[in-house]
Amino acid sequence: MKKSASRIYTAIIFAFLFAPIIILLIFSFNEGKSLSVFTGFSLKWYKELFNDANTLEALKNSLVLAFSATAISVFLGTMASVGINKLRSRWYRTAIDTVTNIPMTNPDIITGISLMLMFVFVGRLFGASTSLNFLTMLIAHVTFCLPYVILQVLPKLQQMDKSLAEAAMDLGCPPLRAFFKVELPEIMPGIITGAIMAFTMSLDDFVISYFTSGNGFQTLPIRIYGMTKKTVTPKMYALATIIFFVTLTLLLINNIVDNEDSQKLKEAKRIQKGEKPEGDYNPRKRNMALALAGVLVVALTFGAFSGSSASKELNVYNWGEYISDGSEGSFDTIKEFEKWYEENYGEKITVNYDTFASNEDMYNKISSGAVSYDIIIPSDYMIARMASEDMLLPIDFENIPNYQYIGEDFKGLYYDPDNQYTVPYTYGVVGVIYDANVVDKADIGGWDLLWNEKYANKIVQFNNSRDAFGTAMFKLGIDVNTTDTALWDKAHEEMIKQRPLVYSFVMDEIFNIMQSGEASIGAYYAGDYFTMMEDQADDVDLQFYYPEHTNMFIDAMCIPSCAQNKELAEIFINYMLGEEAAVANAEYTYYASPNRLVYENETYIEDMGEETVEILYPEFEDFAAEYNRYAYRTLSTDMLSYLNSLWETVKVN
Amino acid sequence: MKNGLKKGNSTTRMLLAPYSLWSVIFIVVPLLFIAYYAFTDNNFNFTLENITRFFTATSQLTADDGTVTEVRTYLMIFMRSLKLAIISTVICLGMGYPLAYIMARAEEKTQRIMMTLIMIPMWMNFLIRTYAWMTILQDTGIFNSILGVFGIDPVHIIGTEGAVVIGMVYDYFPYMVLPIYSIMAKMDIRLIEAAHDLGCNSLATLRRVIFPLSLPGVMSGITMVLIPSISTFYISQKLGNGKFFLIGDAIEGQYVANNLHFAAAIAFILMIILLVCMGIANYFTSRRVYGG
Repeated sequence: MKKSASRIYTAIIFAFLFAPIIILLIFSFNEGKSLSVFTGFSLKWYKELFNDANTLEALKNSLVLAFSATAISVFLGTMASVGINKLRSRWYRTAIDTVTNIPMTNPDIITGISLMLMFVFVGRLFGASTSLNFLTMLIAHVTFCLPYVILQVLPKLQQMDKSLAEAAMDLGCPPLRAFFKVELPEIMPGIITGAIMAFTMSLDDFVISYFTSGNGFQTLPIRIYGMTKKTVTPKMYALATIIFFVTLTLLLINNIVDNEDSQKLKEAKRIQKGEKPEGDYNPRKRNMALALAGVLVVALTFGAFSGSSASKELNVYNWGEYISDGSEGSFDTIKEFEKWYEENYGEKITVNYDTFASNEDMYNKISSGAVSYDIIIPSDYMIARMASEDMLLPIDFENIPNYQYIGEDFKGLYYDPDNQYTVPYTYGVVGVIYDANVVDKADIGGWDLLWNEKYANKIVQFNNSRDAFGTAMFKLGIDVNTTDTALWDKAHEEMIKQRPLVYSFVMDEIFNIMQSGEASIGAYYAGDYFTMMEDQADDVDLQFYYPEHTNMFIDAMCIPSCAQNKELAEIFINYMLGEEAAVANAEYTYYASPNRLVYENETYIEDMGEETVEILYPEFEDFAAEYNRYAYRTLSTDMLSYLNSLWETVKVN
Repeated sequence: MKNGLKKGNSTTRMLLAPYSLWSVIFIVVPLLFIAYYAFTDNNFNFTLENITRFFTATSQLTADDGTVTEVRTYLMIFMRSLKLAIISTVICLGMGYPLAYIMARAEEKTQRIMMTLIMIPMWMNFLIRTYAWMTILQDTGIFNSILGVFGIDPVHIIGTEGAVVIGMVYDYFPYMVLPIYSIMAKMDIRLIEAAHDLGCNSLATLRRVIFPLSLPGVMSGITMVLIPSISTFYISQKLGNGKFFLIGDAIEGQYVANNLHFAAAIAFILMIILLVCMGIANYFTSRRVYGG
């Protein structure tokens, strides 16, 4: 009776622990792109995954990082444990215990920020161009893994019979040999558990990696966090499913190995009791199995993507999901560029492609001086800010003949009045997306739909201050770039009024929320509306309109002043403007393109459908005037922090 | 003899040197950087402004009925984070303690398998797991679909404090079970038998023998759940629908807004509060363990 009660209890707990895993598993077979609407069984995301060099690269990085961090922390930690165990000085002991506890009793976010501050500071001191890289992430991971190793190894040492090692030494065994022959086998279970824990912690970490990641080395969680332009696809679930099964196999192997270990223990006890040992236990077998498992994983990961070692490198820093990457049979821009470059310049080249989650995210990394990129693709207001802070290099347009295809409307705009720093990549207009099955036709048309009490808890709002306040300001007819704090306060009042109606503050979550019908009204970019529509649930009918005045954005390619290879960057920009790449990127991102080779391209219009093109490319009497008036501009630092505190009070409510 | 002792000491020092050095450079010094940034302005001149801002910044809360109250922004955010973290920790303890007990008393092979099963979900990064919870908890999500099959009306979970707590409990549950389990697995079974022999029933044995002995594990479990719950920002963004602004969100928000000094100040204050709390907790539990 009691036994069955505890069985049921255990079953319930494990059901809870594995519920999300089962969800991952199911949705990894989804035919559609959605993570909340299952449209049919398909293996396509697994195929996509194996064709996605960027994700596989990130996976490789995560594994390399976890393996290296584990190896180093096990080595250092075991050594330290042996030392601590021998330590007689009480003072030293207390000090070491306290310091060992710090990474565990300190929130990740503090560990992450503190290491980042130090790395950046030291990097600046030595004038290094990239102070955040693989090494800094490795250091960070070793630092938070070390305590777990010590915590597992030290108790084993304390439990151990000290006389054993002493006996060995008395019998003439040198101390080092005595350690390897006597002590190490005894504490091995502790070391293995410590290693598994360190490895697990490293794979599970996101926060510390987020603050310490840098150039050319992005791990899986950093990639996933950066997928803000579109959203996380079932591809990531497919990856998680594979990790799940690989892990399961590996840990099962480990369990079988451990079983042998306990057999050994039983045999040892028998020997102690003077009984004859049975069976031929081979302690080497277990080490071999472990090593084999390790090597297998490393070989698999490295074998899958044999790295090319080119002398020339181009470092690109872009939004996540913001370039045609070969998925679903599309054009693989980066790979094709590398090929094209080799054919035309007879030289191999490697493009390191990293992603960021927001303009601010990118700005922080670049302005810290800790990273170095040759190309970045920020939005207009951030470009203006960076240009004013001398963070951008003037572009040599001689090297970019394709610039001629950029529409005249997109030149000389406020963020780059003299056309020095930028080559526009995409642009978009904010509109209102609504579910026609929920919203009455009579209510649509303006910004006030987002304030309509009839739809309380069906409305989503931007989860960033500028865009969210923008909707309120357009509704009230306030200049979105005003420096009058009283007007910002008015917008703030409007936000507070809206707050009880808001279902959720969203960025990329909007895709799943609107598709599944969780919410029915939200302001977002026209291009994203089409992405959402592709995978909407059966009972959802998403529609779109532009309110009278609305925000526009332009994202443009720029060369930051930390660039190491300006000419190569210009060649890349020129390539991006070429017909093939430009059309592919426009079709992939679903945003409007300022490139004539795209918007006048007949196959593009056909692929997109004429209605789509009509919405994506709304007609403007005077685009430049409209844009310069309604686009967000850089606010002064004081204004920004004022806005930030207003925003916090909206969020706090 | 004296010579031998000295020799032992120098080996100990050599063994400890790399770790000590590592700890000082990568644990202690970075914390000094937090303090340095917390007490300086953008030009690295000394200032107390960041610290005072944490305690004095106010915002107006508007209740649903329109009444407005003024609160200290960051103190309120901190209290809210603390509340959710404590609830999550208590639930983790309530759920985890029996499981650790069951595990520790199971067969050795079962113990290992259970331990493996507890750790496996962590190999999928917590970002992905949290995303999966969104799919489960949405109004139109899996959980409500299952309820629907049984004819039960949908429950609104996502975007509530409950959803944030579920996310925290889920993500940090292993941190509670593992330390308690490892203490219990090592517990001397003879003590329990002795208690039974002396007339204790199961409940009394649990209360008077097992629980006091497992207290160090419970303490580290509590620490390891409370600390990450209090400072999380991803869970509150995804499962709280961005409506539960926690202290971690505040730090991340200031970092994103490039206010590194104020971000450092919040982090610094949080660190001090936690250190004091932990110190007090450790003081009392160590007295109970050794003195009681």
